[in-house]
Parts: sequence; structure tokens; C-alpha cells
Amino acid sequence: MAETRVLLEHIDEPGLNTIDVYERLGGYTSMRKALTEMEPESVVEELKNSGLRGRGGAGFSMGMKASFMPKGTMDKYLCCNADESEPGTFKDRLLMQKNPHRLVEGIIIAAVAAGVNKAFIYIRGEYAFVADILDAAVNEAYGKGYLGEDILGTGNDLDLVVHRGAGAYICGEETGLLDSLEGKRGNPRLKPPFPANQGLYQGPTLINNVETLFNVPMVIGKGADWFKQHGTDQSSGTKLVSVSGNVQRPGNYEIELGIPAREIVYGLAGGPPPGRKVKFWFPGGSSAPVLLEEDLDRPYSFESMAEAGSMLGSGAVIVVDDSVPVVSVALRLAEFYRHESCGKCVPCREGTNWTVKMLERIDSGEATPMDLDILANVQTNIIGNCLCVLGDSMAMPVGSMVKKFRGEFEQHIERAREAADRLSIELGVAAPPADQAA
Amino acid sequence: MRPEATGQTPGVPADWDAPVDLAKDPATIPDLSSVDVPPELEKEIRDHIAKYPNKRSAALPALEAAQRVHGWCSPEAIRQVAAVMQVTPAYLSSITTFYDMFNTEPLGHHQVYVCTSVACNLRNAQALLEALQEAGQDFDDANIRGFECLGACDMAPMASIDNRYVGPIDPSEAPDVIEALREGRRPLPGRGLGDDGFKLPWDKDGSDG
Amino acid sequence: MPRPEPKLITFEIDGREVQAPEGQMLVDAAKQGDVEIPYFCYEPKLGQPVGACRMCLVEIEGMPKLQTSCSTPVREGMVVITTSDRVKEAQNAIVEFLLVNHPLDCPVCDKGGECPLQDISYGWGPGRSRFIEPKRHFEKPLEISPLVAIDRERCILCYRCVRFSQEIAEDYQLVFLERGDHTFVGTHDGHPYVAPFSGNIIELCPVGALTSTAYRFRARPWDIEDAGSVCLLCPSQCNVTFTTRDDTKVMRVLARDHSEVDDGWLCDKGRFGYQAIHSADRITAPMVRDGGQLREVSWERALSEAAGALKRAGSRAAALVGGEATNEEGFLIQRLFREALGSANIDSRSNGALDPEQARALARPDFAAKVPDIDYAESILVLDTSLVDEAPILDLRVRKAVRRNGVKLVVATSRPGTLDPNADAVVRFAPGAVEAALAGLAAALTDTGDLDDLARRSGSTAGHLRAAAELLGGAGPTVILWGERVSHGDRGHQAVAALLAVARHCGIETTAEAGLIEVPAGTNSRGLRELGCLPNLGPGLAAAESSGPSATGIPAAVADGGVSALLLFQADPIRTNPDPAAWEQALDSATSVIAFADFVTPALEEHANVVFPAESYAEKEGTVTHPDGRLQRVRQAIAHPGEIRSGWAVLTELCARAGRPLPAPTMPGIFDELVQVVPFYAGLTLEEIGGRGVRWQERERASALGASPLPDTSLDAPPELPTSGLRLGTVPSLWSGRETQHAAVLRFLAPEQTLEISIADAERLGVRSGDEVSVSVDGRSVRARARVHDPVPTGSVFLVEGTQTDNATALMNGLPRTVEVTKA
Repeated sequence: MAETRVLLEHIDEPGLNTIDVYERLGGYTSMRKALTEMEPESVVEELKNSGLRGRGGAGFSMGMKASFMPKGTMDKYLCCNADESEPGTFKDRLLMQKNPHRLVEGIIIAAVAAGVNKAFIYIRGEYAFVADILDAAVNEAYGKGYLGEDILGTGNDLDLVVHRGAGAYICGEETGLLDSLEGKRGNPRLKPPFPANQGLYQGPTLINNVETLFNVPMVIGKGADWFKQHGTDQSSGTKLVSVSGNVQRPGNYEIELGIPAREIVYGLAGGPPPGRKVKFWFPGGSSAPVLLEEDLDRPYSFESMAEAGSMLGSGAVIVVDDSVPVVSVALRLAEFYRHESCGKCVPCREGTNWTVKMLERIDSGEATPMDLDILANVQTNIIGNCLCVLGDSMAMPVGSMVKKFRGEFEQHIERAREAADRLSIELGVAAPPADQAA
Repeated sequence: MRPEATGQTPGVPADWDAPVDLAKDPATIPDLSSVDVPPELEKEIRDHIAKYPNKRSAALPALEAAQRVHGWCSPEAIRQVAAVMQVTPAYLSSITTFYDMFNTEPLGHHQVYVCTSVACNLRNAQALLEALQEAGQDFDDANIRGFECLGACDMAPMASIDNRYVGPIDPSEAPDVIEALREGRRPLPGRGLGDDGFKLPWDKDGSDG
Repeated sequence: MPRPEPKLITFEIDGREVQAPEGQMLVDAAKQGDVEIPYFCYEPKLGQPVGACRMCLVEIEGMPKLQTSCSTPVREGMVVITTSDRVKEAQNAIVEFLLVNHPLDCPVCDKGGECPLQDISYGWGPGRSRFIEPKRHFEKPLEISPLVAIDRERCILCYRCVRFSQEIAEDYQLVFLERGDHTFVGTHDGHPYVAPFSGNIIELCPVGALTSTAYRFRARPWDIEDAGSVCLLCPSQCNVTFTTRDDTKVMRVLARDHSEVDDGWLCDKGRFGYQAIHSADRITAPMVRDGGQLREVSWERALSEAAGALKRAGSRAAALVGGEATNEEGFLIQRLFREALGSANIDSRSNGALDPEQARALARPDFAAKVPDIDYAESILVLDTSLVDEAPILDLRVRKAVRRNGVKLVVATSRPGTLDPNADAVVRFAPGAVEAALAGLAAALTDTGDLDDLARRSGSTAGHLRAAAELLGGAGPTVILWGERVSHGDRGHQAVAALLAVARHCGIETTAEAGLIEVPAGTNSRGLRELGCLPNLGPGLAAAESSGPSATGIPAAVADGGVSALLLFQADPIRTNPDPAAWEQALDSATSVIAFADFVTPALEEHANVVFPAESYAEKEGTVTHPDGRLQRVRQAIAHPGEIRSGWAVLTELCARAGRPLPAPTMPGIFDELVQVVPFYAGLTLEEIGGRGVRWQERERASALGASPLPDTSLDAPPELPTSGLRLGTVPSLWSGRETQHAAVLRFLAPEQTLEISIADAERLGVRSGDEVSVSVDGRSVRARARVHDPVPTGSVFLVEGTQTDNATALMNGLPRTVEVTKA
């Protein structure tokens, strides 16, 4: 099937990352419109009307978020969350690498609308080559007077700094990002206070994902009504979906929200390798509870994925085929979250660690099926008790795997125990069981 | 930075069992005049500081710059950053040990991160890591390690080689990659994101490249 | 930022309606309903809650998820449930998680029996663990400093210690390293955590992870008792609890949280200095010189020799009263001298007399700030004092005001100090030029006078003075913390006049919660002054009938025969007063030297005729007066070791033998008598003072101080700066006192003499950090280790006062000095 190309419009145009090409293709006209023809309030209103929901994972209305920013003359900040680190997610990388000016334009519009005059792009350190591209784009925008003082003679000032992270998943959590940007360990903060009231440097702060801001020039340029023609009633616009794992054509695909998931996995990404079947899939990055093959017929939208007991999250679809043991996926996933837990709160720090240790035992044959009950209960004990969502992000998918594949887990335990017993008998480190010795 | 990211055997931080050296002075904020900071490094750090409302925000870029100069976040590198930023070395140590991209041991000038996270692991990432580690066994100047999701699952199995995303790499190509690093060449030309004409093998129109 | 005034609201907790101040955290407000919510990381003294331990989760109606009660302010009508199954399950879960990596080695743990982790596991835990995997193991215990050991296995990573280091002491030496389940508490690259307040982390630790090297394995909680008192090791007068054993031994010192005095923190001197009490070198019996040597004798002999010597000297007796003397002791000494011996030669200051009018002005209640005023002032001026060295707990208080409440801080000192990075403006005047700096500030505040000329005379700049005045001149309250040394030397009178002028220009007498707090050299300097331990002021700051020389004049008085006997009451002029050579000479020439001392110093060894063993602060019973006017009770925590007797009892006996017996020779009797002679203390009782103290300015009788005219704000022209040589500034170090010398665990902190010098001067002289240098003036010199320190201004150098050897006082004579520095 064909993609809709709204976010990816002109994406293959050579030199799109330069301001000349970007402007030739109509770039920065939305910024002119927003700054010279509209009031900040009407920009926010337009964003609200468009129904644009945050593309970072939580799916909260972008316009509402902007409207929470207090009025007044205090220092306010905008942070673009470009710390794309959720396993399976690589959409923002493509947008920033190919079309950095559209992000810059989106930031300028959003910042001016929210009364911000200092903005940051927090980009994960691993994307150093993308950060260089952004730096170049930001410099070009300064050169044209689109950033800096008195933009387009409108009296609006905006500074934009590209800030590189240094390798920590947790900095994608918005308050972890703020601490990291303040030069600290990227520990999430207690909420409230929410960033819109007390964020970066204690000032009101608007935090948006790359893809969300990428939509902004379009919403302003073509209008909220045009934007709402795409997607569903509750999930308007198009969505960039990253498809990965056991599919034939992993990659980024732009879709209308609400199309059946099967069209994404099979139609766009080619489905699993020949002879293989989809065993389960993550609809929204590794933090999303897994869904089964039959769930592929559900519409792919924020609300439908929630109904299925999972979430659309960042729009990253990871497909696992029937050649892969569920225990190995669960273990790898738990290890990821243990490694990435900041260690600040107890249930996440100790729960991820404990879960990995249990899964290791299950994998190596030192567990009993009773351990599965403990494993499941530990996930329950993590969920809802942590400071931020990282702990839940492990507990929900691991919990869903134990629940949906309990039989396979039990089989795995039995087989691994038998194998371990055989090995220890061969090595002479254990006596054979009584019935065999007899 | 933790030495192990694959989670097979959780690595233990080297110094968590080490007592402090009571003969040392406490690590307070060093006087700049007592530290020999390379002038370019000092300038780069000051430029970073100037970009932020609060100087501490420059910690990550400053440490990144120091690591580039010193090869790793050595105690001396940290002291230099501390002296320019006028913060304590411990403040910086708490940061270098938190973020994966800072090396707290000298591990070589080339950084080879093989993504072994959930999605890449479904596409043979572990085999690529092992192949690269084997090929690089006697090449001390490269830090070849597994890394959590690098945001390039479409290129799996892949590696970030000195910040250049290269993939998909077949494990059989590992010796070529190491050979290129040894000889100061760019490994697998044309196969890195952003290389001219880069395309994924299954990508017809090239929108991902 | 003005002090918030919370109103009461009503909320419901576990079915009970409870009232609490609006905005109070639920975990605290719950106590109003007799509900205890368990927690580990919450500690309001550490600032904003972090919500890390998750132990305090509760159910709040209308909220889908459980909430941390440590970070949820109570609101009108809130309905809270802490006993539901959901809450219990969460509590069980958190305890189980916490114990995943905890070794449960309680039988050999110092904390056992007084451990929140034990108590909470017992009260709120599931009673079992399903965790059968290997726990994380560390080498244990490891020293993290010579004072503190760390057991990382026991650590539950609650953040308290690292928050203390980062957000309270702001030394930022103790941090979390690594992340996730690999996180551990540590320092940079194996450096020890050595900082003035490091010991507080021991008390903050809710498990047995941080323990005191001095206390480790010395006692179990059931072996010990608590005794509340006041630390007398510096003017901060922190409230403490002595942990004692068998009524004879102080085992440790803990903070006895008093928000109006110390905020519940202690410095390491206060926490570990108690070891000096039990030093084997301590004097525990009276001694007299016999055959050229000090020998232990009976009390009768010592008393009769001392009384005889004092009576013989009569009006030619002189007394130096050390800062650790209680009000009762000070009162008795001045009574002995003024009434029995007819001598006015009494001083409790080290460097020149205080003008009587100025003393009364400084004591005015409307000029006085109290410690908590620091928290919510509009601006603070820290003037010519190094708080961290001279009243450390106030250094923390100032940091708190700046960090939490955005109070504007002006630091005006000659030596670069620890508060500079927190200051909104710094006035760096030349050593000895405080008068000019103050005159400059006064000019800038009023926009009169020749600011440029005054700035030049101060060694600062008009710009810096103006910036400081800008911050201090606001309509809100200004608190001025000023070092006693402002009043020292022969221009002390003019400098205090300038200080009072600045205070008045800041609107101090007309603004509520504004005022001055003096940081004196001695612990109880304020009480001793108010009781008349001054050569020119009697009890109640009344003009004395006759005046004697101040301490600086005593050596000369000895030389010319005006003074023949010296009483040193817990005073060591060789160590603390300018011109030790002159003092050495005076002790040598005096007919008799009678000392109350805890250790035999070389000077006493050579010159003392009678030495009475002095009580330690854990043995004293009496009262002291805090620099902000709070009278506090010092309570005897342990029995007197050896032959030691109470200071008040010995002084009472000397009074009697000198012919002025006391009507009621008991400690309460003496207290009753002293409140009668200080009009503004009148009617005070020990009960009223109680365990929390009472500020006399807040009592009705404060008016009895008597109206003194508001001080004049016209000022003399300050002197010009010397034009050649390096100007020497001297400051005591927190660690230069005798406790450091005699408390075994603190000995490593005893400072060696260090010369702080600017980059430019060091370069000019070819001196590098670590070089040994000689600092000399008028043919006297001290040796020091050079430290090139970036913020030291060119032309100024600094030495430490009070070191055991090479004491900077050797170069002082009460006047600002210019010195020569040469490489040794």
C-alpha cells in the first residue's frame, strides 16, 4: 500500500537540510504567518483545534499543553525532546536528519506562541551526526534572522541551543530531561510541580517531541481543519511509524492513524520472513504490553491500542516471529530497563534488578513454575508505585508476556531444568535424581 | 559508564569496593591556576557555559569535549573541567558514571557501539557484537561494546562506529570493519547513514537513508 | 521573600477529621490525627522532598494512583486513607524491595535498636522475602573519611547523605556514582569526604550504612542514655544531645534540633570534639607550682594559694575570661574582681575595649536580629567574618536562606570565603580596611559623600560598593552578620560607628525582623559582656565605677607594675590574643598566674602558679547567651572526672575567701543573683529558659536596657591604605582550636600554617603552591606553606589564627599589618 506523505513531504529532495532548499519548497512561510499575521493566543487555539496529540508517547494534546504555560514576564523555556531512545523508535532521527529546518520552524512557532525566548533541542548523544546537522540548520536560521533578537522585526526574541545528551534512556522522560539539561544526573523529578509551572531552571517549560513540533508548521500553514482530515476523530494527523524486528522491510512509514495494524506490519513492512508467523508485537515501543497476531486487525490509533490493553506510545512497532522464545525477549527487555533505570526510586531500581535475576534463572533452568507467580507479582508490585514510568515500562510488557505466554514460560523452565540437570550429571557436579540412580 | 551493556553478567563498577585514600586531600573545587587546561579545551568549555542560563548545564558538553581531548574522562580530565566550570570533581564524576557515553577508564580512541537492544537482538545483533569483539581482540584502541537501543532498528544489526551509524552489517564483515579502523579508513563506505547514496537493501525509494 | 503565614485547614485521614496548616506535607499533617506514615527519604531539613523511597504511599480520594505523602501538601477537604489493602500491599512491596539488597546483618550493626529500617520492616513489612537471588556485595566497612565509615551493602540509596552534601553543606563532595541498581554513594576518584559538616550524614542515615569511626562498636542503644545540653565550642551554641554511658562517659554528640538556633545540624568540631573530654592529657586535679614544677595538690592548698595571691594583688589583679565561661562563671569573676578585690581589670575580649555607648547601641532590641530572621530576610550582609570558621552553623543558615528563599546575599570580607559563590554581591576590601568599606557602603546607601575616595581607601571599588548597597537598601529586612573583629584595634570605635551607620541606612531599627547579629570570638562573649566581664562596663552594660585596661593593655600594665596577678579563666592569650610575645613576657613577669584550664599548655607549664582543672562543656551546669540574645541552659551530662569541681563552686569559694561570700552558693542561687544585677534579665528563671532557651529581647523586661540615643551616622574619614608591602589578613580556622589537638579523631584536621596569596604576587615573588615561605614584619616571622588561590586579590595575603605552631597572632599587634613574604 502507499504511504501518505505529509510529514515526509519532500523528504528525498536533495539538500532539503539546507535553508535555501527548504525555503524554496515553501519552508518558513508558516513561521511568517504565525509571527506576523497571528496573535500567540490564536496560534495556541489553532493547535488546540487541530487535535494534534503529542507524539512522544503520552499522546496529550499539544495545544492544551501550550495553553498551560503561564502568562507573564518570567523566563520561560521550550525543550524539544529529541532523546529518542525507546527501543524500536527511530522516526525522529529521520525527520531531523533530512528536514531539520522544519523542526526549527516548528520550534519558533511554538516558542513564540508560548511566550518563550529560550529553547533547547535535547538530542541524545548517540545521534551526534544528527546534532551536527541541527547545529548547521540553527546557524542558518540565525543567519536569516529567524532566530535571535527581534525575529522578522516582530519584537520576538528566541535563542535555540542544540544540547547533546550522553547516553541515558531516562533522559527521554521529560523531567529526567530537564535535570539532564540542567547538567545533572538525568533523574526524573516528582510531579507536581509540572514542567509547565516549574520546569527548566524552575521556570515554566513547554516540552514537546520532535514529531509533534514537526507537525506545527503544517497545522499553522494549512489550518487545523485541513489537519483534522487526516487520522481519526481522536487521533488526528498522520503518524510516522517505526517498524522493526522480524519483518522483511524494517523502516519508517507514514500512516493515517486508524488504519489496521496488519497493513503496517504486512502491507508496509512486508511481514515476517517467509515461513514465519507473527508471534507477538509491541505496538508502541518496548514499553508497550505485547499484543498477539489476532490483534493485528485492530485499527492502529491511540484509543484502539489502549482498548486492547496496550498503547500506541511513540508509534514503534516491534514484531517478534515464532522462531523467537518469549523468555529471551522478556530477559533482553528486562535487562534494558535495569540498565536504564536511574536508580532513584526503590521499586524500579530493585524491581528491574530482581526481575532480571528471576528471568536469568528461568532461562538457565534454576527456576520452578512457582517463580512465575513471584515474577508476575513483582511486576504488579512495581506498577503504579514508581516515581516515573520507567518501572512500569518494564513491568507492563514483562507482565503481559508472562500472562499471555505462561505455557511457553513453563515449558521453557522444564526444558531448561532438564538440560541443566543433564549437564551437571555429565560434569559430575550433581548426583542423578534418585529415580534415575535406581 | 558500565563496562557491560549486554546484561549477560552484570558488570560491577570498578571502584565500588575501593576505600578512599585517606592521604589524599578532599576533592574541592580546584583553582584554575593550579590546573593545566589546554587552551582550546578551556575555550570550548567557556563557549558552552555561555550558551546556558546556568553554568552547570554545560557539564555534559564540557565533559564530552574533555573526553575528546583526553580519550576518556580521566581524573585529570575531570579536574580540568572542574577548574574551568568551578564545580567539584565529584559533581562531574556523578555525571560521567551516570551516562553511558562517558568512559571512566581508558578504553581506546575508537568507540564501536553495537546495538544489542530488544529490536536489534531479533536481527542477529549479538552475533555481530561477538564477531566484532573477536576481530578486535588484539586492537586496543577500540572500545567495542554492546549498547542499548541506538535508535536505528531499521538498520539492524548495526553499530555506531565513532558516531557514524553503519548497518546492516553481517557478522562476516567484522574483520573488515576492524581492519579499516586499524588503518584509519572509514569502515564499510557507503553503508553509513548520511553516506552518499545510502539505502537500506530492501528500500526501493530510499526514504530511510 | 516574606515568611509564609499558613492558615489551618481541615482534612480527613483514616476516617478522622484533622486540622493542619495548609500546605504542610501530608506525612507531617497525618501526625495531627495520630497516624504514622512510614518513610525513609523524607527529611524536611533537606529541602524539597525527592519521593525516592516510595515508602509513604497513601490513597487520596480522587487520585487514581497512590501518592507519596511526603510530597503531597494537605488541602481543605482532602480525604486520605493509609490503612487500605492497596496501601498495605504497596508498603509490603516497598519493604520487600528495600530488603532485596540489604544484608540484614542487624546483630553486628551499630544502628540496630535505633534503626528506621528495622522499625519500618517490623511495622509495615510483609515479614518475609521471596528474594532468593544473590544480593549485591561490597567490601565493608570502608572508610569514606577518617570520621565516617560506609557500609554500602546496608545502604538503601535514600539520597539523604548526598542531598546533605549537595544541598545543605553545598560542599558537593559526596555523590551518587553509577546508576540504576549499580548506584552507590561515593566521592571523586578515591578522595576522602572531608568537609566542615560531614558528620551530619551519620545522623541522617536511616540505616547502618554511615557510621561514626569514633562511635562504631562502642555501645548498643540499650547501654546508653541521652542528656540534652548546648555545645560550647563556638558561638553558634548548637543544641546537642550527649549520648552518655554510665553517667561518666560521653560516647557521641547528636543534634538536638532547634530551628531557631541550629536547624538540627552540627559541625564536625561539635560532633567529634567531645573526644577531648576524655583525653588522657586532661587536667583532673588542682595543681600548684612547687619547686619550679606544677604538682597535683589538694583543693584546700590550691584554693588558699590562689585566694592568697589574689588578695595580695587586690586591685592589681587582672582577669581574662575565656568564651567558654558560663554566665554564672562570668558573673562570679567580675563580682570577685570588682567587689572583693576592687579591681576593674577584667576582659573577655581579645583586642581592645568596646565603647560603652556603642555596646549599649549594639544591644538595643530594635537593632537585634534573631537567627530565624536570616531565613526570610530581603538581604543579608556577611561582614568581616568567615562564618564557616567562626560560627559554622550560621554558614549553613545563610546558604539555606539564599538557596531556598532567594534571599540576597552580600559578602563583605577581605578574605575570599566559602559564601562568595552564593553571594549576589561581594565587597572585597583590603585587610584592615573594614572601616573604609563600611563608610563606602554608607555613602553608597545614602548617595552622599565621596564614594570613589572611600572605595579607594577600602581597596574595593565604587561599583562593588554600589552593587552591594543596591541589594541592602531595599525596603525589606536586612540582617547583618558581623565579625567581632570589626570592633578590634585602635580604629574599632570608628569602624563600629560606620557599622551602626550602615545598619541605620538599611532601616534596621524601623524594619521588623531586621537587625544585627554579632559573630563574637568566644562562645559566650555576649553573655560575658552583658554580665560585665569588660574593663569599662559592669553587669547590664552599665558604666563601670572605674575602668581598667583592656586585654591588649594588660601586658603593658604588668610591665609597669599596674597588674601583678593574672587570672586566666579558660583563656589562653598566647593562642588567641594579638602579640603572644608580649603575653609571654607578661606571664613571666606577673607575680602570680592562676589558671582554670583543661590542658597544660607550655605557657602554663612555665608560668602558672595555680592551675584549677576546668570543667568540660559536658560537665558544666549553667547558662550561656547566644549571639542573638537567647539565654540557653547548659546541663551537666556526665560526672566530673577525677577531682574536678564545678567552675562556679570554685569561684564561689574564692569569693568567700576574698571576703565576699555568696548568699546562696548554688548554681540556681547564683543565677538568681545575676538576673538581679542585669536589669534586662530581671525575673528570668531557669524554668523559663528551659530546654529551648529564651531571648531576653522578647521579654517585657527588655526595655530595662534603657533608652540610648540612636547612634550618630556622621563618620570620620577612614585612614588611607598603606602604599607598600602585602597587607596581612588573619582568620581563625574552624580547626585551629584546641579540640582538634586533643580529640583523637579530629587531629588530622589540625591546620598547618598556610599563606594564601594571589596569583600575581606569587608570580612576582616566585612562589608556588606548596612552597615553604616566611612571612615577617618588624623582625618577627612565621613559617607557612604557600597556597596560590585564584580569588585572593593582589596585594593581600592571609594567615590562619590559632594554629598550634607558627600562629599568625605572632605577627599581630592589634593594628593592620603589612608584611614581607620570602621563600624559605
